[in-house]
Amino acid sequence: MRISTLLLILLGISPPLYAMAAPEFTIEIRDHLFFPSTLVVPANTKVKLIIINKDSTPEEFESYELNREKVIMGGAKAVIFIGPLKPGDYPFFGEFNPKTAQGLIRAQH
Amino acid sequence: MVDAILLILREVLEAALIITMLLAMSRKLSISFNWIVPALVLGVLSSWLLAHYAYAIADALDGTGQEWINALLYLSVILSFIIIGLIIAPLLFSASLQEKYLSFTDNSIKPHKTLLLVCSIFAVGLSLAREVAEIWIYLGGFLHQQDLLQSALTGGAIGLGIGMSLGVITYYLLVFISVRRFFIVLFVFLIFLCGGLSMQIARQLLQIGMLTSATPLWDSSTIVNEHSWLGELLYALIGYDSSPNAIQVIFYWIAIIPFLVALAWNWHRRNQASSTTSI
Repeated sequence: MRISTLLLILLGISPPLYAMAAPEFTIEIRDHLFFPSTLVVPANTKVKLIIINKDSTPEEFESYELNREKVIMGGAKAVIFIGPLKPGDYPFFGEFNPKTAQGLIRAQH
Repeated sequence: MVDAILLILREVLEAALIITMLLAMSRKLSISFNWIVPALVLGVLSSWLLAHYAYAIADALDGTGQEWINALLYLSVILSFIIIGLIIAPLLFSASLQEKYLSFTDNSIKPHKTLLLVCSIFAVGLSLAREVAEIWIYLGGFLHQQDLLQSALTGGAIGLGIGMSLGVITYYLLVFISVRRFFIVLFVFLIFLCGGLSMQIARQLLQIGMLTSATPLWDSSTIVNEHSWLGELLYALIGYDSSPNAIQVIFYWIAIIPFLVALAWNWHRRNQASSTTSI
C-alpha cells in the first residue's frame, strides 16, 4: 500500500481496489468442518476467499496467521480477501467450533 | 463448555477492562457511577440489533457490511477515547501525588464533565456492541441444539464471571493509587487501546480488499504467540499483533498522535507555568 493510495482512501476517493481481479477460491463449511480443509493458493498474490456456510448454525472464520476474523451466519456466505502471502502454511479455524473446524491455507509458487 | 468459556472471556476481557478503567476514573473524579447504566443499555441494545440484523448487515455493500460497521464502531470508540484523553491530559501534570481522589469541584475537569460522561457512555456502549453481538450470534447457534445450549450458557456465565472478576480486582488496585498515578496509568492505557483499535480498522479494510496488505513488518509469534494467554491479554490491552503490516502500523500512529500532542502541550504549559512562578 502506497501512502498516496492511503491518502486517496482517507479523502474518500478510493480507486476501485477490489475491482482488480483476484483469483477466487471457495471453502465450504458442512457439519462444522471445512471443505477442503487444505486449500492451495498462489503465493505473493491477493486472493479472494468465498466461504459458504452450509450449516444452519453460525460460524466464525478466524486465523491469527492470516490476521482475519469474520462471522458467517448459518446458510450464508462471506468474502474475505487474503494475501499477498509469502509461501508457507497458514492455519485457520472456526472460532465457534474450534475442535472440529480446522483448516489450512497453503501458499505456494 | 471450555470453548464457550474461552470465547466469552475473549469477547468480554477488553470491555471489562474499559469499564473498569472508566469507573475508576469516575471514582477518582468523585463523579457518580450512574453513567454506566445508559452505557450498558446502549451496549446491550446495539449488540442485539447487530445480531438480529446480522444477515442483512453481512449482505450489505457487496458483502462488506460487517467490516464497515465494525470499522465505524472502532472509529467511534477511538474518537471517544481521544476526547477523554484530551480532557484528562492536564491531570497528568497537575493532579496530586498524595491524594487518592480529586474533589468534585476541581476546576480542571468540572467544565468538561458532561462531555466526559457522554464519551464514556459511547466508549463503553459501542465497545460492548460488537463484542456482545458476537456472543448473541454464538449462543443463538445453540438454540436448535438444546443439549448443547445448557453447556454453552454455563460456559458463557463462567467466562463472563472470570472477566468481571478481573475487572473488579483491577478496579481495587487502581482505587488505592494516587490521582496523578492513576491518570498516568489511564492515559497510557488509552494510548495503547486506541492504537490497537486502529489496527483493527486497518484489518477490516484489508479483509474486504479496500487496502492491500504487504508482507508483515515483523513476526514476533515465536516470542509471544497470539494463541497464548499472554498473547490474548496483550491483544486486549494493547491490540498486540504478532505480524502486523505497514498499513496497520500507520493506522496505529494516526490514532495515538492526538495523545502524544496533548502530552507534549500540557508538559510545555506546566513548564511555562513553573518558570513564571520561579521568576
